[in-house]
Amino acid sequence: MKRVVFVLAALAVLLTACQPAAAPATAATGGSDLSGIKDYLTAKVAELEGASQDLVAASDEYYALAEAAGFDYEALWADHSAEASQAIQDARAAWLEVSPLYEQTEGIVAGVPTLADYDVILDAGASAEEDPEGAVPFDIELPDGRVLPQPGNLFGVLESTLWGTYPEYSSGVAADVDGNGDSFSDLLPDANVLKGAADLTHSYIVELKDATAAWSPTESDAYTALVVMVPTMSEYFESWKNSRFVAGDASTQRDFVVISRLADIQDILTSLQVVYTEIKPQVTAYDAAQAEQIEQGLADLKAFVAGVYADEQAGKVFTAEEADVLGQEAQDRATAVAGQVAQVAAALNVEIAE
Amino acid sequence: MKLNKLLFALVITGLAVLSTASPARAGGEHPAAQAEALRSALFTAQRHLLAGEDGAPAELEKAQAILAGEFGQQLAAADPAASQRLQAAFAAMQAALDANDPAAFSAARAQAWTAVLAASYSRVEQAVRAGDAASAQTWLPVREFRTANRFSRPNGDATVALLGLANGEVDSETAEQFLRADLYDTYQARLNEALRELAQADASNFAVRRAELAGLAQGYFAILAPAYAEQRGEAALATAQAAFADLQQAALGAGNLATATAEVHAALENFRAAPLSPEEQARRAGQLLRYIYLVPLEYGRGVSNGQVTLQFEIQEAVTFHEAAQAAFADLQDVLADTDSAATANTAALLDSMGGHLLAANTGGAVAEPRLLNQQAEEIMSTLDTLMPEEWKQQSVAGDFDVITSMLDQMENAVRAADYAMAESARLEAYAVMESGPEARLTSLDPQLKLRVEALFWNGDANHPHGLSSLIARQAPLQEIRSVRVALNSELQQVQKLLSVQSAPGAIATNAAVIVFREGLEAVLILASLMGSLKLQNQQYRKPLWVGTGLALLATVLTWSLARSVLLSLARYGETLEAIVSLIAIVVLLLITNWFFHKSYWDNWLAAFHGRKRRLLSGETGVWLGLISLGFTSVYREGFETVLFLQALVLDGGSAVVLGGVVIGLLLTCIIGFLTFRFQSRLPHKKMLIVTGIMIGAVLLVMVGKTTYVLQLLGWLPAHTMGITLPYWTGMWFGLYATWEGLALQVLAAGIVIGSYLLAEGLKKQNRKAGAATPG
Repeated sequence: MKRVVFVLAALAVLLTACQPAAAPATAATGGSDLSGIKDYLTAKVAELEGASQDLVAASDEYYALAEAAGFDYEALWADHSAEASQAIQDARAAWLEVSPLYEQTEGIVAGVPTLADYDVILDAGASAEEDPEGAVPFDIELPDGRVLPQPGNLFGVLESTLWGTYPEYSSGVAADVDGNGDSFSDLLPDANVLKGAADLTHSYIVELKDATAAWSPTESDAYTALVVMVPTMSEYFESWKNSRFVAGDASTQRDFVVISRLADIQDILTSLQVVYTEIKPQVTAYDAAQAEQIEQGLADLKAFVAGVYADEQAGKVFTAEEADVLGQEAQDRATAVAGQVAQVAAALNVEIAE
Repeated sequence: MKLNKLLFALVITGLAVLSTASPARAGGEHPAAQAEALRSALFTAQRHLLAGEDGAPAELEKAQAILAGEFGQQLAAADPAASQRLQAAFAAMQAALDANDPAAFSAARAQAWTAVLAASYSRVEQAVRAGDAASAQTWLPVREFRTANRFSRPNGDATVALLGLANGEVDSETAEQFLRADLYDTYQARLNEALRELAQADASNFAVRRAELAGLAQGYFAILAPAYAEQRGEAALATAQAAFADLQQAALGAGNLATATAEVHAALENFRAAPLSPEEQARRAGQLLRYIYLVPLEYGRGVSNGQVTLQFEIQEAVTFHEAAQAAFADLQDVLADTDSAATANTAALLDSMGGHLLAANTGGAVAEPRLLNQQAEEIMSTLDTLMPEEWKQQSVAGDFDVITSMLDQMENAVRAADYAMAESARLEAYAVMESGPEARLTSLDPQLKLRVEALFWNGDANHPHGLSSLIARQAPLQEIRSVRVALNSELQQVQKLLSVQSAPGAIATNAAVIVFREGLEAVLILASLMGSLKLQNQQYRKPLWVGTGLALLATVLTWSLARSVLLSLARYGETLEAIVSLIAIVVLLLITNWFFHKSYWDNWLAAFHGRKRRLLSGETGVWLGLISLGFTSVYREGFETVLFLQALVLDGGSAVVLGGVVIGLLLTCIIGFLTFRFQSRLPHKKMLIVTGIMIGAVLLVMVGKTTYVLQLLGWLPAHTMGITLPYWTGMWFGLYATWEGLALQVLAAGIVIGSYLLAEGLKKQNRKAGAATPG
């Protein structure tokens, strides 16, 4: 009897402990050293933090001048044009540093699910007016108590404030800030908007720095960044086509007015090349020819955009149709690269995040 | 000499490693690189032509040289018709160069490129049919992909299928099916995209782009032509091809583009080149059934007395309806093959539902929820007869699609600061998880199940917050999103784990394990209680048995409820468990106290006073308490067990699951019998001790588990200890790594021990009193 009890008890324990349906076998893919991606991002975000600090300092300077003038911008320009002009120029210079620095990280930040929200906040998110469902998740509280509800990404707000492409963010007072006699961008910014946006930008960049520190890149992150971000070319070319670089004065775009999107694309591709360099050994182990082809494809894409940018810098003004044709070509190249990366990911069983 | 041999061996080894590391390549430069060089040369030629620069002829010559080599020869051998189109396109490009006509060049360039794609597809297909995986893998990269964006990803089905073919895991026929599904799907998507962009290019008056896009559309359709002919016949194909030819001419300025575009759209209406794979069909079917079920559920929550009371519920219903319609559209043709009239009726019902939802969502008439319920039931009942059995069973992917879409809704709601809607969507997602995948997950990887549960609710040591707690305190999107990302990653693991269809034996074993595990717990509780009543309180065993019988009956009744009702109850599963468990604990505490006093004190009094002072008052209360204890002890886990078993039924069918249930019950009965028998053989004093310890242990486990559920619900705070305990400590001892759980278990133990010591103290006091009383 005791034996029967023992056997039954053993059977019961076995039944309880057993794992009935075994998990499917998956291809082992671990082991890639992706620390280079994090090192690159950490260094860039640290630079970004420094540059955004400069932006805050310049906007504080301008705010102090405006405050001293009782926010009477006519008086400000009449009495302190040199100081005001300097502060605005400093803020513009800082923005011109911040924006490309961010673009050099965007391929990673926007492509990695845990960091992607910072891209929406800083560089990509729409305003509630443009896209109520997908708008940025923040409001800007201004020093004077006003609130800008979900105004769109912060770099866009800052750009349109600093270069006066959105009248609501300007003081309405015309002034030849850069002294070049050109009427473009010659409106004094609203100091409250500038300070509110600059402060918030800096605080989000500090958050991004912390998020980067907490992030451990995975293979899924790396493949996802490539598959998601490489094909965004068409968005950038579309934006370039509608910007003043192509459409000239007919452009109604508020942002991307001072740096050509073609420069941004190259910066983004730089960060994606860093990502690819880290996974290339794994891709090579799977298919050496494909690994080379992907690398070449990325390099060719960047060279293609660089060529168009060089033409633009040399003074060529592209027609909208030319921009469309070039955009389609960039998109085709990008889709081919992303497609190949996706194939390798599928073959190696690396998850591409949704 | 030895060195030479060593070097030779190293070279051979190196070559062997290289040949196994990458798919075999045909001789010469890789076809994909050649194709890219050709494509790039043609684009550069067009760019020069468009800009009025020199250099276009040289680029065209470069492309021609590539085509004249082995690359072009292989394409020509694989697909003579495509090769002819390619030659014609090159002639047209030369003519366009001569005429300095960028638009004509652009159209011909598109024709040339799509002919390359068509021929390379033929090459891969032929290689697959011949079982030549290496050649197929070499040529497959000469393809395009769906245009990826931030929200859609190119799939890797063909690549994986060819890998399977190379490894001998997939046969040629299956590999060909995946190849066709992937490439047809890609080229149909590109065709649709070209047509969309053609309209935009026309609106912008971009002549070159217009010509190119019409050329691409015609070329992509040429790749899909065999599927079109197969589905609609050669005559229809000829009509469609004529429409595309007209479109090309119109795009070049020789015809009316709007009319030609309309003809093309008419030809393409309801055409799906890539047949859905059986897995995809089952997945869409799973989505369809779940979404249809959810529509009236959400609608009912949002409407009261002919008024919309919760707009977000209506929006959810609209979203689910749209998703259901999309899934239905993908299955419509297959369903119509079974019964076209019933399928048409379902389509009409779906449309009607859509009309009601639109009206309610836009301030129009608000239909009675009963009406939408009836429509949903009719649709589901029709689908039940139309759908093959395998569609109804393979539901894992469908479950995850629904969970994902609900979590998306949750995020959108948070973005819009609508936290009530976010919580509703979160609960719905959790209900689908609990009533579907969780059953198998509990068996396969219980630790993973705990992690998923923690992320849905209040977090754990690794994630201090879960979605529930974050939504409750209206946390910003950032925080919620980071938990969502972690949850996504865990859910992906779950999906991967469950994606393999279980064998009937495994499903039956799962069912047996679930029933046995829950049954064992009930047996332990009952045995300890029965043991305590065995001696002089036999009459109290009856109410316990009555309670147990009622609980079994309630469990069977729960099982018999429709799955749709169960799913609607699933979102309240934790709440139900918490309430029932709390009742069980209160009753168990009372019974424990009563047991000690009755066994020691009352027993002593009875002996001393000849049962004169036996407690007769409160007898009804004791009966009711014992009935409820028997009921709650067994039904406490009964509901969850039923949910799990129902989920297994979806996976393996009723017969298989019932087989497992019978085995589980049988084992439970055997263990129960042995436990009772073992108890009955113990001497009186030992039995009292064993029973006392068992009741105490049961109480501790119950307190631990209930605390966990209360923490899940956010009814109790949860402060984690910073360690991760294995699943079994929770399963068997109710021990979870939170300070509250531990503290309450210690408190419960204190109450039990205190009650015992009080009884002992009273006993001694009464002994002294008895000794002092003269006999």
